[in-house]
Amino acid sequence: MRRFLDRLYAASGAFAAICLAGICVLMLAQALGREFGLLIRAADDITSWLTAASAFFALGHTFRHGELVRVGLFIDMLRPGARRIAEIGSLTVAALFVGYMAWAVTKFVYESWKFKEVAQGLVKIPIWIPQLCFVFGVLIFFIAIVDELVTVIKRQKPAYQLAEEDRRARGDFSEMA
Amino acid sequence: MGTLTIALILLALLLVLLSAGVWIAISLAAVAWFGLQFFTTTPPDVNLFQSFWGSSASWTLAALPLFIWMGEILYRTKLSEEMFEGLAPWLTWLPGRLMHVNVLACGIFGTVSGSSAATCATIAKVALPELVKRGYDEKTALGSLCGAGTLGILLPPSIIMVVYAVAAEVSILKVFLAGFLPGFLLMALFSGYIIAWALLNPDKTPKETSQLSFGEKLYKSRHLIPCVLLIVFIVWLMVIGWATATESAAYGVLGSLAIAWWSGGLNRDTFWQSLMGATRLSCMIMFILAGAAFLSSCMAFTGIPKALAAWVASLEPNKYTLIAVLAGIYILLGTALDGVSMIVLTTSIVIPMIEKAGIDLIWFGIFIVLLVEIAEVTPPLGFNLFVLQTMSGRDSNYVAYASIPFFFMMVLCIVLITVFPEIATWLPDVLMRKPK
Repeated sequence: MRRFLDRLYAASGAFAAICLAGICVLMLAQALGREFGLLIRAADDITSWLTAASAFFALGHTFRHGELVRVGLFIDMLRPGARRIAEIGSLTVAALFVGYMAWAVTKFVYESWKFKEVAQGLVKIPIWIPQLCFVFGVLIFFIAIVDELVTVIKRQKPAYQLAEEDRRARGDFSEMA
Repeated sequence: MGTLTIALILLALLLVLLSAGVWIAISLAAVAWFGLQFFTTTPPDVNLFQSFWGSSASWTLAALPLFIWMGEILYRTKLSEEMFEGLAPWLTWLPGRLMHVNVLACGIFGTVSGSSAATCATIAKVALPELVKRGYDEKTALGSLCGAGTLGILLPPSIIMVVYAVAAEVSILKVFLAGFLPGFLLMALFSGYIIAWALLNPDKTPKETSQLSFGEKLYKSRHLIPCVLLIVFIVWLMVIGWATATESAAYGVLGSLAIAWWSGGLNRDTFWQSLMGATRLSCMIMFILAGAAFLSSCMAFTGIPKALAAWVASLEPNKYTLIAVLAGIYILLGTALDGVSMIVLTTSIVIPMIEKAGIDLIWFGIFIVLLVEIAEVTPPLGFNLFVLQTMSGRDSNYVAYASIPFFFMMVLCIVLITVFPEIATWLPDVLMRKPK
């Protein structure tokens, strides 16, 4: 189970990265094509879907890496016992809300599938196809949050905290905007 | 229930969630859900989907991950070592000598990187030990690195500026262009302080012995030339209107990959690391933007920003009073929030107010970016302080104390662009006026 979950997060993170690289490739292809009078139709639509896919699929992976920002000012001051309670609290809020989000998003995309809604841009494909990345991304994010909640309840340190401590120790600041 | 009561309830809820350590994007979205569910008749689930999807599936936003990736690639090259070696020979004639390398190197790296902490870390990694080894004053070295590191977000392309432009719905390009002159001004102020300090403390700057000819100097900085060319190229593309911000970012990625490959720093491992790093950082930022978009739509339904803007307008505040009050609020926010959150959290409320007061939105973007910079060098949550604390082994209060003069230079820069707004607005006005 542990191995399956870790692979799930890694795979969705890698997929998000490929989408990001795809944006770059598509942009360059479009610029090159324009030079030779070749227009890639609908490149703009595909770019925006790739951007969304890259953001949503990376959620679970980014979360476990401790790179989703939070205000650490107060919880960092807590002693380990109190810190654990605080982590359970914030993870519970996150799990509840992201669970709700997963439900709302799935319902919305299910309806757009049922009513056969079509994308408004140049690419006339059913809109639920690109929107599926939102559904899967949020579901994986939800699983990752519940996973961490269980870890903290079992009195272990969550992966995001370990990752952050590791980065601080190595003096790696590339994750700050 | 009155608009004021609703606003206070939502604000209180947001503060509770944020200070409890709930992830910022989730806090924003949860407050938005609460507001829509209990104070309006709109279904929050449909709204949630549309806000999140609308803000993420955006062509304009595609520039963000690409600029981040570009910075991540260069962060992993040997650029930081080459920067010191390449710039040092040119700056020995100024009072303060190699101390100016900090300012100039941060300025150059700042144009390719959009991040302040990354700029600070990259330059400090080599410059700090080199300066201390040669007998320069550690305190001023730390302070100048801390201050100049923030140039990363003021000199375009800047991640913070893309975030502001997307959140305030203004042209990314205009905000970029507006950043140049204030960026140069700030560099001049930093260097000016170093010169004044060096003249007042002549014994604290060690003598340089080596004398190099022009050709030797050029040879020493040969590794910097591709990087400088890349910057000039990207900016030129955007200025002449040949490429959009997103396309320029794609060229930037290509160019920095070429630089990394040429300098031998590119292999499958570093390529993948830079891509994954960029994916995570842009995911974090886009998730906050999406959460803030949801909160903005909730705000629009409750009518809070409109009421607040009308109330502020009814006070008929002096423009400078309004700016001073906002500066105070942002500095306060900066003690607990990072720059991206600071901007997206406030735009839905502040932008209508700013528009009503007749303040230019492009100028306001530069103003906010400068305030975010100040937040990065002030405790308790100053990213640059954390960076230098780790690099120097001093505690963060010492670093903050060392940066005080540079902090005042930043305040002076804000005052100057407030009194002379043309410093920010002149360049975009001149370059963007011509019809395309």
